[in-house]
Amino acid sequence: MVIEIPEFIVPFLPWIRGTIGLSLVGLIFIGAMGAVWLERKLSANIQSRMGPCRVGKYGLLQLVADAIKLFTKEDLRPLNADKLLFNNAPIFIMASVFLVLVAIPVGAVFINGTEYPLAVTEMDISVLYIEAMSAISIFGIFMVAYGSNNKYSLLGAFRNFARMVGYEVPLGITVVSVAVMTGSLDIVEISRAQGLIWNIFLQPIGFFVFFVAIMADMGRLPFDQNESEEELIAGWITEYCGMRFGLSYFAEYMHMILGSFLIALLFLGGWNVPAFVANNAVLGLIAPTGFLLVKVVFVIMVIIGLRWAIPRFRIDQVVDLSWKRLFPLALLNLVWAVGLGLYLGA
Amino acid sequence: MDVRKIIESLTSTFPEAISEAVVESEIRARAYVDKEKAKEVCQYLKDSLQFDHLCSVCGVDYIKRNEFEVVYHIASYDHPVVLTLKAALPRENPEIESVVSVYWSANWYERETYELFGIKFKNHPNLKPLVLPEDMLGEWPLRKDYEGFPNKTAKNLV
Amino acid sequence: MEEKLEANEMIIHLGPQHPMQPGPFRLNLRLKGETVVGADIELGFIHKGIEKILENKTYLQGITIVDRVCYLVALVNEECFIGCAEKLLGIEPPARAQYIRVILEELTRIQSHLLGTGEFGEFIGFVSMFMYTIREREDILSLIDMITGARITHSYLKFGGVRDDLPEGFKERAIPILNKVKKAVDDFDQMFHSDRIFRERTVGVGVLTADAAKSLGVSGPVLRATGVPFDIRKNEPYLVYKDLDFKVCTETAGDCFARVQVRLNEIRESIYIIEQCLDQIPDGPLFPEGTPYGRRTPVMRVPAGEVFHRVEDPRGEMGMYMISDGSDKPYRVKIRGPYYPTLQALPPLIIGTTVADVASISGSMDGCTSEADR
Repeated sequence: MVIEIPEFIVPFLPWIRGTIGLSLVGLIFIGAMGAVWLERKLSANIQSRMGPCRVGKYGLLQLVADAIKLFTKEDLRPLNADKLLFNNAPIFIMASVFLVLVAIPVGAVFINGTEYPLAVTEMDISVLYIEAMSAISIFGIFMVAYGSNNKYSLLGAFRNFARMVGYEVPLGITVVSVAVMTGSLDIVEISRAQGLIWNIFLQPIGFFVFFVAIMADMGRLPFDQNESEEELIAGWITEYCGMRFGLSYFAEYMHMILGSFLIALLFLGGWNVPAFVANNAVLGLIAPTGFLLVKVVFVIMVIIGLRWAIPRFRIDQVVDLSWKRLFPLALLNLVWAVGLGLYLGA
Repeated sequence: MDVRKIIESLTSTFPEAISEAVVESEIRARAYVDKEKAKEVCQYLKDSLQFDHLCSVCGVDYIKRNEFEVVYHIASYDHPVVLTLKAALPRENPEIESVVSVYWSANWYERETYELFGIKFKNHPNLKPLVLPEDMLGEWPLRKDYEGFPNKTAKNLV
Repeated sequence: MEEKLEANEMIIHLGPQHPMQPGPFRLNLRLKGETVVGADIELGFIHKGIEKILENKTYLQGITIVDRVCYLVALVNEECFIGCAEKLLGIEPPARAQYIRVILEELTRIQSHLLGTGEFGEFIGFVSMFMYTIREREDILSLIDMITGARITHSYLKFGGVRDDLPEGFKERAIPILNKVKKAVDDFDQMFHSDRIFRERTVGVGVLTADAAKSLGVSGPVLRATGVPFDIRKNEPYLVYKDLDFKVCTETAGDCFARVQVRLNEIRESIYIIEQCLDQIPDGPLFPEGTPYGRRTPVMRVPAGEVFHRVEDPRGEMGMYMISDGSDKPYRVKIRGPYYPTLQALPPLIIGTTVADVASISGSMDGCTSEADR
């Protein structure tokens, strides 16, 4: 879907895209810090204690203090660890995040009634691209776990593989069923085509399967066997110190934010607002983006709350859940989506 | 079960192994047992008199009498009597048969008695030090003439 | 455990420092993939030599040391030690002191079970459970603090009685707190029953039959969860337990879920016992009349003899064998901790399960390594 662009902007388009991309990189770091703060405060509320409350008002600067601490720690490497894998693993972990980031629209602005989605690139196959790029992080995880020369990390990596293999399949099928009903793989198109009837109402089973599968993909409790603290010390990042640990830790929260964006765009209606808001000059600039961000924050809070409310599965129960229960449900949803798509299209 | 009946049954079944049997109260009794027959007495207690719970196995150093004692406390899950059996061993070369085949939980108690006193338990499946570090094997800390490790500066030992 | 490793086996240490343990011990696991095929425990990281120390300290100094056998349930350790010495001395504390001792020991049992349940929740990933039980435990500790003056390692019991009387208004402070804890235990019970993931992690995991438990020598909630109603407070009652009405909590399944259930039920029974004590407690002296034993204990020479005394610790059966030779220091004290045989029974129980289940089973045993090592 090509959008009309005024003539005088065309030479500057690469610069504009580059600027948006760089600012998005900075914004996602800030977003990850905000997500960590939100998790600590929310978990403290659930457990009836206070979270960070000393550094800055409401502890908002706590993450800045933590980042300073992580930067100034000594960077240790075990003697027998594989140098190449150990040193370069964070590159893969962060690369996955940034590659996905370029395709996700973080909002939209309505100028004179036309809609300009805020994304670095708009591709015709952006949903497929996002799913492919998000699977790169598994390389980084295995590089760390294998290169650390540590048995706990190795056990964590094995569990990670079992989990990822099981949950990528229902994830992909659910995304395909949404795309089939819309008729396009472009995420902007899927989000726009929902109008005011969100996909969660049209495909409730699909939403449920997608939510569980993406929580397993992100490695959040109840699916965090690879870093389960109680059995494996810290799982795959046991040997990481200082900012390497910081990058891996933040990468988990960035994945969480990106996953929440996906949920909000694919199933919760994206940035669609009623027509009278879109035609308004001032509201058209801020309301759609704001609405999307509100939905994303709500989804993040639900994911955080789930982590602290339930215990953790055992790894064989996780694999059981994905192959025996989610996979048939996803197939069922695909059939339903095809039928619904034909009916609505007719 | 009545405590007196238990003592009578013991003394009648093992007349030469059990000596100086004393009934202290309704639920406590003690007796000396010959060290060669300790395992047989335990087997008899477990099979016939329902004593199926071994409370502990410990050692005591009677330096004035120049002997060690291995003390078994045997109780039951059904009745409240606790029987204390004591086996006297010479201080030079203390050895006694292990009761692990009768009571499974005696395994660690005997390992600990070995490393604290130096009493060897024959036919024990795994007689290694349990609570002390490996380099303290041979020190036998709980004996009354123990002098300290690694500096021999322990004082006031009775 | 020492045989040559095959191609896909590895040895992993759930080592002395681990977030999963109640205290330092080394659990060597031999894994094939995620299944445990061999296990071995090494102890001794927190061995303090208490039995040797006790031979060189007087009886009064010994009370403070026996506190530290297991610092979480210090009052029960003191009760065992003092019970031995009182039997040798031939004295018995008066009724009021006995009721105060029972109140304190039941409060200790409640707070130990709360901590054990919270830790078990934490080991299987349910971190919030730990926070909730600790919150209730704070109120119980404040009650104990009101009476004894300390939260752990109290040194409060004395030969023939207790050090101080109950403070003014204790009953009015205690009853609302006990009601709050009772309601919280009902909440925990309902939480455990309704949580599907919790049941999948604990039901059918680490099953012990009654015969296996008896032959392994375990005692306490682990044994009562298999159906054997063995409780020292009923078998050989000490203090005023024969005048109190309570029942022994048992379950029949013998798995981790049953052990948690037994502990929650025992908290309810302990609250009931404390309420009865607060109703029935008589006025009277704190030390036996006509004897020199009092708040200022004289130099005590205990008559020669030997005794074996057992009490019901929150974790099982605790016993002490004390030999005295007539002087003011014990000749030999042997401490039989309740967690020692349970820890010994852990390696055979975890063979064939996965690493995740090791956390579950070890947490449901609710241990304190300090008392296994002494």
